[in-house]
This record gives sequence, structure tokens and C-alpha cells, in this order.
Amino acid sequence: MKWVTWRDVGVDRMGCAWLIRRFIDPAAEFLFVTPGRGSLPEGAEPFDIPGTRLSHHRGHSSFHTIVREYGLDDPVLRRIAQMVDEADVTQEVTVEPAAPGLDLICRGLRRTSPDDQVALERGGLIYDALYAELGAEPH
Amino acid sequence: MVTESPRRWLLLLYKVPPEPTANRVTVWRKLKRLGALLLHDAVWILPPSPRTLEELQWLAADIHERGGDAMLWEASLCLDDRDKELVRQFLAEVDSAYTDILADLGQADADLAALSKRYQQARLRDYFRSPLGERVRAALLSAGGRTD
Repeated sequence: MKWVTWRDVGVDRMGCAWLIRRFIDPAAEFLFVTPGRGSLPEGAEPFDIPGTRLSHHRGHSSFHTIVREYGLDDPVLRRIAQMVDEADVTQEVTVEPAAPGLDLICRGLRRTSPDDQVALERGGLIYDALYAELGAEPH
Repeated sequence: MVTESPRRWLLLLYKVPPEPTANRVTVWRKLKRLGALLLHDAVWILPPSPRTLEELQWLAADIHERGGDAMLWEASLCLDDRDKELVRQFLAEVDSAYTDILADLGQADADLAALSKRYQQARLRDYFRSPLGERVRAALLSAGGRTD
């Protein structure tokens, strides 16, 4: 199915797209719109856009919301969700020191990618790596 | 006289229902953490960047979820050149945090881990790169037995 989000993807939207493709919809197709302007395309599920179901809720990132909404019961995903929460929005309490680094790398990936599509592909590599490494830790 | 083109600023104006008070506190603390300045108890301002813009867009959405209303502008001053004054205010805020860290760093039992955390938090709000920040960084590194 089609999914839509704001253009100029960063840590949260890269994470969401990876999560969607890997755990929810392997054939996902992503569309991009300009923030805060106009209506969303019909028939596409929005994510990380304010006021939508799969967005920031109760102080959590959209990644965190998607993990919860789709009942993805995986301790590694919950750990990554905490990281994205801390990376994406300034938090008072932080327990994941890698979070600001993840944010920085994702910003840089968007900067070095020709468009959002490519940025999502490359971001996916980062999240694959994160998922593999955290999964290998004892928990 | 050389006139510089005016700076752009992000302006947030919002209202949150008085009850529950926790909502107001959450929003206020968030803005303080971002290092936003409150002008005349009315408008919060931040310099524009992809990060500050996104943080404020999310905060505005969060305010709506809490039953409030928020408007976000990007604007520039069109009367009197007061940009420098605003920059000075931003620097003064972050310099006061840096000064406190330097003072605590001078204590015999300074908690270096906690102080470096405070430095990192202050640096996130240091939008105009205060020279004092560099001094704090150097002082922390040297207290930790390292130099930059």
C-alpha cells in the first residue's frame, strides 16, 4: 500500500519507513508532501504528520506510536523506539546515549542523498544495523 | 552605514487550558529546554533551523492535542534593528548556564559526568555559539585529564 509523510526525512521518518517495510508492509510505497501545506493524497496512510494516527502522541515519537499501534511486541524495537524518542524531540530524561548521534547521522544522510526516496533506503541500512547490534546484546 | 538584512525568527504564540496545570507546565518546560526566549510574557522566539522548526511544529501539534491552540510564524523585525539585542539575550541565557558549570567545575568534589551532561544540554541551546561554551568544553576536557 501507499504511505505518505513530510519531505526532508530525518531520524523519525527514516525509522518509521524502515519499520513499515520490514515489519508491516514489505511492498510499501512512500510518497512525500511539503510540511504544513495543503491536503494529503487520497488512499495513502500518513505517518509522522501532526494530527494523524501514526504521529507523535503523548510525548512519544511516531516510531514509538507505530510500534504500539501495530502491536509489534519486540524488546529490540521498544529499545529503538526509546532512542528515536530521545533523538527526535528534546527530552528531559535521557537513557540512550546513542540517540543524539543517531539524529546527527540521519540528518547527514538526508543531506548527502539526492532525494527522500534514496534517504529512506540509506536510513534503512542504519536501522538494520542498529536492530542487529541491539538484538545481539543480552536482554 | 551598512545595513544588514534582518534576521529571521520563529515565533510561537499559544494558549493551553488552565486545567490540568500539568499541561501548561509541560509546554513551558519544553520551551525552556529548547532555550526559547519569552518576550513580554507573550511570544516565544527561537532562531530558525530545520531542528528548531521541527521541534516547534511538533510542540504546536502537542498543544492542540492538549486542547489548546498554537500558531507558529517565521518572521523578521520591520521596525528598529533589535536583532543584535535578541542575539545578546540568547547568549546571556546560555552564558549563565555555562558560568554555573564553570563555577561547579571549580569545586573540589566536582561531578564531571554530571557537569559534562549539563554542558551538552546547554550546548543544544547555544544557537549563537558563545565563546564561553568553548571554554567550558576545554575546562571539562582538561578536568577529565584530556585536552582537545
